[in-house]
Amino acid sequence: MLEAYGSALAYLFGNPSSFLLIIFSVIWGIAFGSVPGLTGIVGVALLIPFTFVFDPTAGLLLLSGVYVGSTFGGSISAILFNTPGSPEAACTALDGYPMAKKGQAGKALGIALASSAIGGIFGTIVLMLLAPPMAQFALNFGPPEYFALAVLGITAISAIGGGSVLKGLVAGLLGLGIATVGLDPITGTERYTFGNLSLLTGISFVPAIIGTFALAEVLQRAGERTSTADVITDVSTKLPSMKEFLATRFTLLRSSSIGAFIGALPGVGATTAAFISYSEAVRWSKRPQDFGTGVAEGIAAPESANNSAVGGSMIPLLALGIPGSATTAVMLGGLTIHGIIPGPLLMETNTQLVYTVFIGMFVANILMLIFGIRAARYFALVLKAPYALVGPAIVVLCMTGVYALNSNIVDVGVMLAMGAFGFLLRKLQYPIASFVIGLVLGPIAERSLRQGLVISDYDYWDFASRPITAVLLIGSLASLIYGFYGQWKRHQIAQAAKLSRGQSG
Amino acid sequence: MLSLKTATVAAFVAGTVLAAPAAIAQDYPSRTIEVIHSYGPGGGTDRFIRAVGVPFEEIAGQSMVPISIQGGGGMPAYANFQQRRVDGYTLMAISPDQIIAHVLGRIEMDSFQPLARVQYDQGMILVPASSPFQTIQEFMEHARENPGELNVGITNAAGFDDTVMGLWNIETGAEVTTVPFGSSEMVSNTLGGQVDAMHEEYGPARGLIDSGDMRPLVVFSDERLPVLPDVPTAVELGYDVTLGRWRAFAMPADADPAQVDTLFGLVSEAVASDSYQEVQEQAALQYRSELLGPEEFQAFIDSEIEVYTRVLDALGLTD
Repeated sequence: MLEAYGSALAYLFGNPSSFLLIIFSVIWGIAFGSVPGLTGIVGVALLIPFTFVFDPTAGLLLLSGVYVGSTFGGSISAILFNTPGSPEAACTALDGYPMAKKGQAGKALGIALASSAIGGIFGTIVLMLLAPPMAQFALNFGPPEYFALAVLGITAISAIGGGSVLKGLVAGLLGLGIATVGLDPITGTERYTFGNLSLLTGISFVPAIIGTFALAEVLQRAGERTSTADVITDVSTKLPSMKEFLATRFTLLRSSSIGAFIGALPGVGATTAAFISYSEAVRWSKRPQDFGTGVAEGIAAPESANNSAVGGSMIPLLALGIPGSATTAVMLGGLTIHGIIPGPLLMETNTQLVYTVFIGMFVANILMLIFGIRAARYFALVLKAPYALVGPAIVVLCMTGVYALNSNIVDVGVMLAMGAFGFLLRKLQYPIASFVIGLVLGPIAERSLRQGLVISDYDYWDFASRPITAVLLIGSLASLIYGFYGQWKRHQIAQAAKLSRGQSG
Repeated sequence: MLSLKTATVAAFVAGTVLAAPAAIAQDYPSRTIEVIHSYGPGGGTDRFIRAVGVPFEEIAGQSMVPISIQGGGGMPAYANFQQRRVDGYTLMAISPDQIIAHVLGRIEMDSFQPLARVQYDQGMILVPASSPFQTIQEFMEHARENPGELNVGITNAAGFDDTVMGLWNIETGAEVTTVPFGSSEMVSNTLGGQVDAMHEEYGPARGLIDSGDMRPLVVFSDERLPVLPDVPTAVELGYDVTLGRWRAFAMPADADPAQVDTLFGLVSEAVASDSYQEVQEQAALQYRSELLGPEEFQAFIDSEIEVYTRVLDALGLTD
């Protein structure tokens, strides 16, 4: 192993240009991540032809650097404009934007950046030390386990309501419902497509979140007459104080672990990792009702998880030749074009390549800290402009970005419709978080439930009694009951308080 | 030395000048050609377009780029293809998935002008190393005694994989159950023993076969693959299952015939290039990937429609 790192270092220092490549790729990644619609996948796919010019190692360094940078990049626009630049950052907007609105944009960006770096380095270390055993362990996760994991995330919607459990559940169910549009995952039958060919893909996630977050926000701001009332002024990117940061240490550790593991599961990626760790942060918090109003844990959890998932999703790619996420699937294609055969033998036959990428990802995470601060500062300059200019610019950017994603005009329509829908949810005070969690985790839950049932021949007991599944499902149920009990108890206390006030008054 | 150099320059200039009138008469293609496909970036079809695109650019002087419009059983990609101008710069990469969509009445194959069928892959049933089944006979014996008990991982519901496995069930008279996954989950669920086997082509599974983590039991082809001499074909076992995934280019139905000719000439040159042949060999695609031109390809499409109609009818999927 040491020998492998030796040859990797020899490669890096023998090719000083590779450091330039990493620097370029991180900046490129942050840029793609932060512009709505231009996701990390687009950033990676665009660079694939350029990797032909380099040797495979340099090519993979380039692509993994973009992956690292883009996963953080999305959080900048999510925090400053409530416009998640990439799907991974959707969850960050839930608390990042409210914190920025409170005049603490700098603190929010600082937490996001530091959490991203910690999560990213955590994920890379897991990748370096545990790739083969983690990949083997992840193989124990079949459809029933995926289902239980998604349910665990979904149950948190009852806690996120921000007051009304009912509204949280309704919003969550709406998300689950919208996620069923498109082709049935098992039979291929059309559902709710109304004969529209473009709706067969379902409600694409990126247009949907850009609509519900960014467009709805612009609509709401346009509706508020006094748009100067909540101008974000603090735009310095100071890292949070040590004390503030230490307060989130358990969240960071838990979220980074969740991120690395979920990243290692094929077929689910950083976005799922961010939402599940957000759900867990809510579940374990002493003040779950504060989530969504701008709490530090609400930023630290998704940001450390999604960056940790980057390292995690490289695990099955390098250890088994199976991509752990959409972005690594594109990387796999890049490797194959170079004549490298991805598979379990990759780590043995291409040691130098694999270990160079390990070191490269480590370096990329550190570079992300440096460039992230700069990028955030440039972006923050936009905040100095009046919202009457920024708002329409965001709308134009969202529309072009969403169109660019698939050159599909229907996506723009989806974004506009979801924008109106998101605006309505806000007006009626339904939590966006619950809605988006339903939208993200719903398809995973549905698909894996039905795959699992086909495999177990519709034996529900067989399905639910698998050890990992059973533990996760019981945990979900317990947390659900505990959540309702907590709500009921708070209600009782409030009633008692009202009653005693009434008596004394 | 100097004279040699001068001679080379002279020859080069002469060549350019002589070639110039031809280039003016034939100024197509004069910009990038976009190839729409319905699979993920980095997937088999995306790589196929890129592999042809590299030599194509050297030959034609214009690039050929894949445009990925994913999901929805290929319908959104098809809709996008139809919305575009017919100017010779938009192609679509088609495969058996379009034939299936045609048979199911979702699209019209008449809306394509076949250009070139380039690849013709061969699928196989693979089991994980831990599987108790060493041969396809053992596997099928179990399937016959326990109908529906064996699960085979496939990609995409009601698509090409499903059709092949459906035909396999019809031909063998045994019954295996298909479980649709995304392609990476299909592999992890097979490796992890969640399903008993999977259907996949040689190229994507090669790494796992080489490492011994997966064992191919049968290949859907007329002849055994030279790279896997011990793996029997379905045909030699008496089951007529040779459906393979093919990858091809098509233009819109009302494309300019002159452009079709020019483009086919360029594509066939690109396919003949060393760089493309290397890519093809790596995925063991060279065995039945005979390049078909517009007419032959049209005939092939017609025969495929017949085959798939028969299979999908038998599976009860058509109305």
